[in-house]
Amino acid sequence: MSEDLYWSLIDIANGLLSGTMLGGYYAIISLGLALVFGVMRLVNLAHGDWLIVAAYIAAVIVQFLGFPPFASLIVVVPAMFAIGYALQRYVLNRVSVQAMEEKGMSSGFGLMSPILVTFGMSIVLAHALLGIFASDATVIKNALSYSAIRLTQDLSISTLRLIFFGIAGAILVCVHLFLHRTHAGRAIRAASDDPEVASLMGMRTERIYALASAISLAVAGVAGVAVGMSRTFQPFDGPQFLLIAFGVVIVGGLGSIAGSLVGGVLLGITQVLAGTYFGPSAQLVAGYMLILFVLAVRPQGLFSR
Amino acid sequence: MSILAPEDDGPLLRVAGLSAYYGELRALTNIGFEIERGEILSIIGANGAGKTTLLKSLVGLMSRGRLSRIEGRIEFEGRAIENLSTEDIVNAGMALVPEGRRLFSRLSVQENLMAGAYLPRCRGTLKERLDEIFALFPVLAERRRQIVSQMSGGEQQMVAIGRALMSSPTLILFDELSLGLAPSVVDDIYRKVRQIHELGATAIVIEQDMKRALRVASHVFVMLEGHVVLEARPEDVTEEQVSAAYFGTEIEGFG
Repeated sequence: MSEDLYWSLIDIANGLLSGTMLGGYYAIISLGLALVFGVMRLVNLAHGDWLIVAAYIAAVIVQFLGFPPFASLIVVVPAMFAIGYALQRYVLNRVSVQAMEEKGMSSGFGLMSPILVTFGMSIVLAHALLGIFASDATVIKNALSYSAIRLTQDLSISTLRLIFFGIAGAILVCVHLFLHRTHAGRAIRAASDDPEVASLMGMRTERIYALASAISLAVAGVAGVAVGMSRTFQPFDGPQFLLIAFGVVIVGGLGSIAGSLVGGVLLGITQVLAGTYFGPSAQLVAGYMLILFVLAVRPQGLFSR
Repeated sequence: MSILAPEDDGPLLRVAGLSAYYGELRALTNIGFEIERGEILSIIGANGAGKTTLLKSLVGLMSRGRLSRIEGRIEFEGRAIENLSTEDIVNAGMALVPEGRRLFSRLSVQENLMAGAYLPRCRGTLKERLDEIFALFPVLAERRRQIVSQMSGGEQQMVAIGRALMSSPTLILFDELSLGLAPSVVDDIYRKVRQIHELGATAIVIEQDMKRALRVASHVFVMLEGHVVLEARPEDVTEEQVSAAYFGTEIEGFG
């Protein structure tokens, strides 16, 4: 094999590997957004900002309470779960499509009002973080930042990315099992199909919505810790993760957990390979081109029915 | 003498002075009736007569949100339920098979049935209940893994009935059982309804097909423009009388 061919193959293999790893956490970023939209027709524009909030919570407890980085999940995940539950139960349920219909507003109004509320929440969260932490880039310090696992002499994977890929995979499997094998999970799926009939089964939809939102933010919390450990972040980084989540949903299709993994991996690989061949500035452009391509060819997403 | 606590010997359901409103529009006017345990009440009436509104009022669906509301009194097993939520009414033992079936379209047959046993009081006996439903509708047992949106209308109606039965209701409300189904399928469905009745259920059935409604019922109501205009035992009325009430017309030489 010629030297040139070998190195170009290594480049592609490295791109595929690290793109796949990146896709794992893209998948969990989008999972929460897709779950909430699928169940409640609610687009949470503050999803990315909550992810950054989770990253800051983790950074604080690691730095000031001396938690080991991964142990921060023990605090972050339940905290985000509680925030998600309360947020839906006491704020978003009041402006949901269903609430608006019950008040006699048009469903268009019902779609718009949560968008406005979460858009406002996004702004408030980012500025609150700016007020507390200033605009300096932060990172969750950890020993694994530069560690990598060598597969061959020239092929390696970042240890951190591999761990979070494993965690992401485990989360996707757990959420899938939860939705299909438990009473609460079936209730979430049933309520997303027909909330009125769900109430005829004795399901309290307002609590079911709150549970879906809680899961969404708990998963975003894991993604936040992953982000915070693998790169620097700032108060205004939220929207960029919201865009990733939208991208994954568009590529993979709504309402499919397998779709979010495949969408995440495709987006990840596209970005990394574009970065390898055309430089870092090509990463975003390549991602958007993939999104445009899928929208043109299969607008419902690759995995949507 | 029985050592068991005496069954509450009042009527299973007592409705008094029930009116229902969609905004300013009154859809039911001063409805009053009682159902004893083990009865089947058929409600006949044209579209817009208020049949579905009556069932929705009973299960609390008219009281959700601000667009519709009810007035009056509804007692179920001696307990006032007109202010309870749908979830609490269902928990108290009422179940509705809604018009148009309204299954959870992305769930399988078995998942739809299991959703019907969501209430904590039903979860312990879920397996037994599921077996009973599959014994009643063997075709569903064969297709338990199938997604319901791929099934025929008759099969979907069976799933809808099974789903309602999963909560072991004491009173089942069937809304438009035969709508959109082939006559032979409807015969089959009604055979099942009779079977369920023989197992001890009390039922209210809304039916467009007058003959069928009269055949299955122990009591018949005819509704017109939000009122009950005829209330009788099927054996005491002729089809002509029922149809006169249905259309709100007088018949020559009658009454």
